[in-house]
Amino acid sequence: MTGEIFFYRSQHWQLLPERAIYWQEEQALIVSDLHLGKATHFRKSGIAVPAGIVAEDLFRLQRLITRYQPTQIIITGDMFHSHENKEVDYFEVWRRQFPNIRFHLVVGNHDIMPEEIYSRLNIHISPTLTLRNIHFIHEPCGHDNGYTYTFSGHLHPGYVMAGMARQRLRLPCFYFSRHCCILPAFGEFTGLASMNAEVDEPVFVIAGDSVVRAQ
Amino acid sequence: MKGKQIITSWLAAKELKPFQFQEEAWEAYQQGKSGLVNAPTGFGKTFSLFLAVVIAWIDKHPEQYRKKYKNGLQLLWISPLRALAKDIARAMTEVLEELQIPWQVGIRSGDTSISTRASQKKQMPEIMIITPESLHILLAQRDYPAHFKHLTTIVADEWHELIGTKRGVMVELALSRLKGITAEENRPPLKIWGISATIGNLEEAMQVLMGTHYQDAVIIRAQLKKNIALKSVIPAEMDKYPWAGHLGLKMLPQAIPVIMASQTTLLFTNTRSQSEIWYQSLLTACPELAGAIALHHGSIDAELRIWVEEALHNGILKVVVCTASLDLGVDFRPVDTVIQVGSPKGVARFLQRAGRSGHQPNAISNIYFLPTHALELVEAAALKAAMEEELIESRMPVLLAWDVLLQYLMTLAVSDGFHANDIWEEVRNTYCYQHMTPEDWQWILAFLTTGGDALFSYDEFKKMDRSGNFFRCTSRMLAMRHRLHIGTIVSDVMMKVKFMSGGYVGVIEEGFISRLQPGDSFTLAGRNLEFVMTKDMTAFVRKSTSKRTIVPSWQGGRIPLSSNLGWMLRRKFNEALSRRTKDPELLALQPLFNLQEDLSHIPKDDELLIEHIQTEDGYHLFVYPFEGRLVHEVMAALLAWRISRITPITFSIAMNDYGFELLSDQPIPLTAENSKALFTTDNLTTELQASVNSTEMARRKFRDIAVIAGLIFQGYPGKNKANRHLQASSSLLFNVFRDYDPHNLLLQQAFNEAFFYQMEEARLRETLDRIAVSKIVVTHPEKLTPFCFPIKVDSLRDTMTSEKLADRIKKLIAANG
Repeated sequence: MTGEIFFYRSQHWQLLPERAIYWQEEQALIVSDLHLGKATHFRKSGIAVPAGIVAEDLFRLQRLITRYQPTQIIITGDMFHSHENKEVDYFEVWRRQFPNIRFHLVVGNHDIMPEEIYSRLNIHISPTLTLRNIHFIHEPCGHDNGYTYTFSGHLHPGYVMAGMARQRLRLPCFYFSRHCCILPAFGEFTGLASMNAEVDEPVFVIAGDSVVRAQ
Repeated sequence: MKGKQIITSWLAAKELKPFQFQEEAWEAYQQGKSGLVNAPTGFGKTFSLFLAVVIAWIDKHPEQYRKKYKNGLQLLWISPLRALAKDIARAMTEVLEELQIPWQVGIRSGDTSISTRASQKKQMPEIMIITPESLHILLAQRDYPAHFKHLTTIVADEWHELIGTKRGVMVELALSRLKGITAEENRPPLKIWGISATIGNLEEAMQVLMGTHYQDAVIIRAQLKKNIALKSVIPAEMDKYPWAGHLGLKMLPQAIPVIMASQTTLLFTNTRSQSEIWYQSLLTACPELAGAIALHHGSIDAELRIWVEEALHNGILKVVVCTASLDLGVDFRPVDTVIQVGSPKGVARFLQRAGRSGHQPNAISNIYFLPTHALELVEAAALKAAMEEELIESRMPVLLAWDVLLQYLMTLAVSDGFHANDIWEEVRNTYCYQHMTPEDWQWILAFLTTGGDALFSYDEFKKMDRSGNFFRCTSRMLAMRHRLHIGTIVSDVMMKVKFMSGGYVGVIEEGFISRLQPGDSFTLAGRNLEFVMTKDMTAFVRKSTSKRTIVPSWQGGRIPLSSNLGWMLRRKFNEALSRRTKDPELLALQPLFNLQEDLSHIPKDDELLIEHIQTEDGYHLFVYPFEGRLVHEVMAALLAWRISRITPITFSIAMNDYGFELLSDQPIPLTAENSKALFTTDNLTTELQASVNSTEMARRKFRDIAVIAGLIFQGYPGKNKANRHLQASSSLLFNVFRDYDPHNLLLQQAFNEAFFYQMEEARLRETLDRIAVSKIVVTHPEKLTPFCFPIKVDSLRDTMTSEKLADRIKKLIAANG
């Protein structure tokens, strides 16, 4: 379960099957699109999706934290799904286990809660973040923005593999497009959108508990 | 007795005499019985029950029946089609006026205006014609029992259309409640009647309507037979006719003389895209048809459809290209010819379509069969034989549809609330839910009040409130949302298509539009359109001058072959092989059969043919059981799984109604020696569960279930894309239920529906038993055969693997090199 270490733009990116990246130079865990609170948002509206999803998602994040001991966690947007609800309170309790780890949220279109809630949760928020000239922004950009490279989320990328005898598979992936890496969605309660990668753009698919370079 | 005299003399004045079955129905009704009337369309089945109610009313008020106004709702007439409702109301009103009975006939459907609804609420008409959905919407209103205070009779019209569907379950549930109200108010039991065309299981159909507590119900059969003349149109150049395909356009030149020689023709196609293509092609081939040709399918603007229906009545149309949208419904008297393009896949459907022509009693229904590929001609011969032998399919009733029950309980919760014990009794006496256990019921109630397993202290689930055993929804927002979502017909998210300059064209699946780039051209409602942009769930278009356009392919167009027709089909192949046949269809196919025999083999009744063929795509294995697509899908998966136990291998699977294909990138180890073991029924149940991708099948079934049960929020009409944060695909919901709540009854329902309706396990077992006593013939043709061709080029695909995911990915990567 160590994933695949990808040396790219002079940095070491450890691509993890848990749908996260461990950035060795910065000792940072990068995740995207957690959509915390989504299940409760549905349940409050009378739609009985299972209530246990958030606990599973946070438990997975917790295991990554204990394994890699990061000093910071970078979230490239859509950390919370909607307005404040009790899943947010649950997160607050969970958050207290790691008072020394900095959580940095690059705000996504779903992150609509008032700023004071984020400070109560001990989360730093900003529209973008730049470290070692690597840029973090929620929505991917299709052009050269002057930084060494960019990391984004938003799309919940999936990759379709087709082969002989008309075989076909669709899996979540890390998609390193020309100017920007798109991270898979971390939350379990999220869907997939198929990416059309150019032939020279690296794509890593998540196949069960391993990460495999698909192209 | 006075009532019957009045009616018969009124008929006599018109020089009419009641049919025997009508009199029988009147008699049974006056005795207070319930039952089912079985009669073909066009023979006055409506009058067999409507007049029975009128007769009883006259008998009850012999002096006053012309003077009594505002009597409250007496007769509830459930009709599956809105279009039908209008026609029936018109006929009933005419009769009542002639008899000078001052009854009102009201219609209640999605089209009924708000003001009409309001006046109906103040004073219910004596007769209300209603769709199953609108009936449930009535049950979702405060004080709904007041509407039904005087109700004596319920008629379910076209019951054969409703049984076997979740709309039929809605009728069962509504009846259970109406019976319950009647009992609570100590009124005499309701008389419940159905009207049905002939189906294989009429007795059962009646039981479903009656529920488990009604005995003493009768079936009244009209001993009347419809004259149907089936003519196959045999391709002029049989040797050049394509082996595969599903459009049948090559037959167009031979269809035109038929159309020209008839007064009005309905041309049935099996899919909407096919109808669009036929409409365009007919118009191109015959420009003089302009103005006299029309298109009718489910995606066309309702106003336009109504116009087409009116024009059909008035006889100003020469031909209408249509789909199942015109299967049912009102009589179009000018129609004297029906053309069926491609196989209708079932005897009942074919009879129904044939019956759309020659609608008057004793007229001959003319139907022409146009094959879309060569082998389909065999189906025409099979249909003819099945019709002669009255081999009509059964419609299996739906059992334990939890999604519909959840919706129904929410309906009761938003109106007056419900006492769980009373409703439990009512629901358990319906046919659909007779096997519901107390545990199921508790789960259902919990799902609505606490949202299933509520193990978490931070849970905020809201839907219904419970006090003791009384359940009610107090949220106005949820109640409003629920009322808008009552119903069980689930379609894809549809987008309106409008011209930039204004003007409405029709509706189309969102998924189709999302694949288009601005500037692309497509065809809808017989027009060539250029896609410009989408905005607020509307696709804006302008007229296109492009010669090449895309015809959208709509989902769900494909219906599998029924087992009756499959059985007949095998018999016809046998006849063809015996060379003693007199069927013109089989004689025309003789050259094709000869080629098949040369390249491979034609299976006899007691044989199963298997072909190994190698092409640049890989290694193909074709198997021909002739059992219909659904059985083939499951059988293919089972065979693939059993082979994959011999060696690690991945297959892609394809099937049509005649057989199936396993395709692999490595040779397939099936031989004459091991083939019997591969088709055994030993360990069938366990191996089926292991082999069939039941998860994928269930996932497909779950989509409708999630919508019906209220898990998918579709937004308010006219307020699209609001509440973005409540959007989730059914596939995603399926995943989270599977991973976090595997005991969810809705999930189990999805698997059950997959097993019973999709997999047809019983039919599969019969097929395997048949194969066990058959001879298996394995051939190695040099090239593709006439039998395998349609499977290879024109079929749906699936995957089956015994290789590890990582190995598969490595192979796929290597293949993409």
